[in-house]
Amino acid sequence: MRLFSRGTDHMTNTALDLADVSLTLDGKSILSGVTLRADERRIGIVGRNGSGKTTLARVMAGLTEPDTGHVRICGVDVGKDRKAAIRTVGILFQNPDHQIIFPTVEEEITFGLTQLGQDKIEAEAGTQRILEKFDKAHWAKSAIHRLSQGQKQLVCLMSILAMSPEVIILDEPLSGLDIPTRMQLMRYLDRISGTVVHVSHDPSALRKYDRVIWLGKGRVRMDGAAAPTLAAFSKRMTELGGDDDISDLAD
Amino acid sequence: MMISLTSPIETRAHRWPAGVKLLALCGATMGLFAIQIPVVHLLVFGCVLGLYVLPGYVFFCAGLRQLKVLWPFLAIIVIWHVFTNTPMVGTVIALRLLSAVGLANLVTMTTRLADMIAVVTWLTAPLRRIGIATRPLEIGIALVVRFTPALADKGSALSQSWRARSPRRANWRVILPFTILALDDAEHVADAIKARGGL
Amino acid sequence: MERNIALIALFAALIAALGLIPKITLGFGVPVTAQSLGVMMCGTVLGARRGALAVLLFLLLVALGLPLLAGGRGGLGVFTSPSVGFIIGFPIAAFVTGWVVERWRSAPLTLVAGLASMFGGIVVLYAFGILGLALVLGKTPIEAALLVTAFIPGDILKAAIAGMLTAALAKARPDSVLSRA
Repeated sequence: MRLFSRGTDHMTNTALDLADVSLTLDGKSILSGVTLRADERRIGIVGRNGSGKTTLARVMAGLTEPDTGHVRICGVDVGKDRKAAIRTVGILFQNPDHQIIFPTVEEEITFGLTQLGQDKIEAEAGTQRILEKFDKAHWAKSAIHRLSQGQKQLVCLMSILAMSPEVIILDEPLSGLDIPTRMQLMRYLDRISGTVVHVSHDPSALRKYDRVIWLGKGRVRMDGAAAPTLAAFSKRMTELGGDDDISDLAD
Repeated sequence: MMISLTSPIETRAHRWPAGVKLLALCGATMGLFAIQIPVVHLLVFGCVLGLYVLPGYVFFCAGLRQLKVLWPFLAIIVIWHVFTNTPMVGTVIALRLLSAVGLANLVTMTTRLADMIAVVTWLTAPLRRIGIATRPLEIGIALVVRFTPALADKGSALSQSWRARSPRRANWRVILPFTILALDDAEHVADAIKARGGL
Repeated sequence: MERNIALIALFAALIAALGLIPKITLGFGVPVTAQSLGVMMCGTVLGARRGALAVLLFLLLVALGLPLLAGGRGGLGVFTSPSVGFIIGFPIAAFVTGWVVERWRSAPLTLVAGLASMFGGIVVLYAFGILGLALVLGKTPIEAALLVTAFIPGDILKAAIAGMLTAALAKARPDSVLSRA
């Protein structure tokens, strides 16, 4: 079952086009000269916590503008053209409790559709469609606070997919979920038929991806096929495991 | 960690006891409101500016920035008193306002948070003597300092979640999940306190 | 006891955090800070006593020198500024709002909380605010009242929103709405 179909009309524009992206926040350099052009369907971004990958995710979603360089997703300057940005890129954050705004499932999903300019009737129809595609029509009137973490994450995913973005960015969506929930959620993620950019500190989530970029201290350390990049990353992480940088304070 | 408004630039006033500064401030403010003579207020304001200039340019600029927020009120005063042709009264009111706020901010800028909390502890000593516990107040202060940045971060995250799906800025609806997060944090904190002996 | 302290402290933190998040719109595209909404909700959610204590704790920290008022304002200066009446009125407004919500149980919570917020957050608050403004600006109360009339429509809207938020909260976390416990 395909979760949604997007035509190939975006193929004239590169999915991800970042050139020399740098960002400094509070005096600290978070991203330095990040350049990447990608058209693969499944792209992974791996790095330690603190490597800047969440900031990169936010920059790609247009929520933060970089100090230098440009960010274009399917040709759209996501930082400047917010109206086109919300049609083009969607982002799923780590903690659903910091994401869900409305008290019921259908209100949360309908919100994005009305923000795209749809009227109430179209939006409600769109909400019904996505719930049915996920076989969750019975969730429509459910209260969010009664759902489990994994179920809330699924609601967040549905809310974004309902807006039919061409690129979806997932920022550590599997954190904190138990094994069965992770496996089940990953199956839903695998079935997304647009471009997926999955940001994670866990290599096992990205093994089957087409391309993996290793981000370290705000810079691109390695960029290529999944297997060699993840192997190099895991090796380095294990080396660092023998160190004690947990003792270092940030300032 | 919340940054207080205490100036990082050390002045001699930083070492004076907080209680004395506060008492002096009360007296000065009452005095300012008791006097109606424009020349006196001009002199006082000049002195206040002088006190800001003494520690240096950076301190002076920080002080001016704090006074800038008063500009709408100053504008109202100027317009009102020009229109009613009572410039002297207006001058007194404007200078009094600037001096009162300026002096109060001066105390804040030269008194560390820990010293202010010490004053609170001292002021509540009589309560402890008659058996009323003040520990909850101390814990309360610590909790607010601990949780305000965390809640603000969560609030920003919710605003971002909105902006990720809308070209417009968030509306009031975003306050509901924010309040729920505050309530949930409160439950966790209550447990944490109980787990370590309670109040 | 621990739960009371935690709720009071967290709501004080909530008022502070509401001043720190980006401005929200009330619906006409006018950006406002949500902070006064937080004060009303202290009353409607925590009730009179705890709501007032939460606002008092918040003000204590502002007095101690923390920049918790919207716009990063704080310190003793705010207590000598023209807004002093409103600042002092905040905890009293929260108390009155909470008192109304606790006593008036025969109508739907949205209505009760909304009207309580209007009575506490506007009638009572503005009474103190106008007196303070008059004192500091050297005007008569009536003249001071003229200066603030422009803000009343926005605050009426905020009070209505406080009502809706309280009712929604009562559905999501019924045990935490202490004003109706």
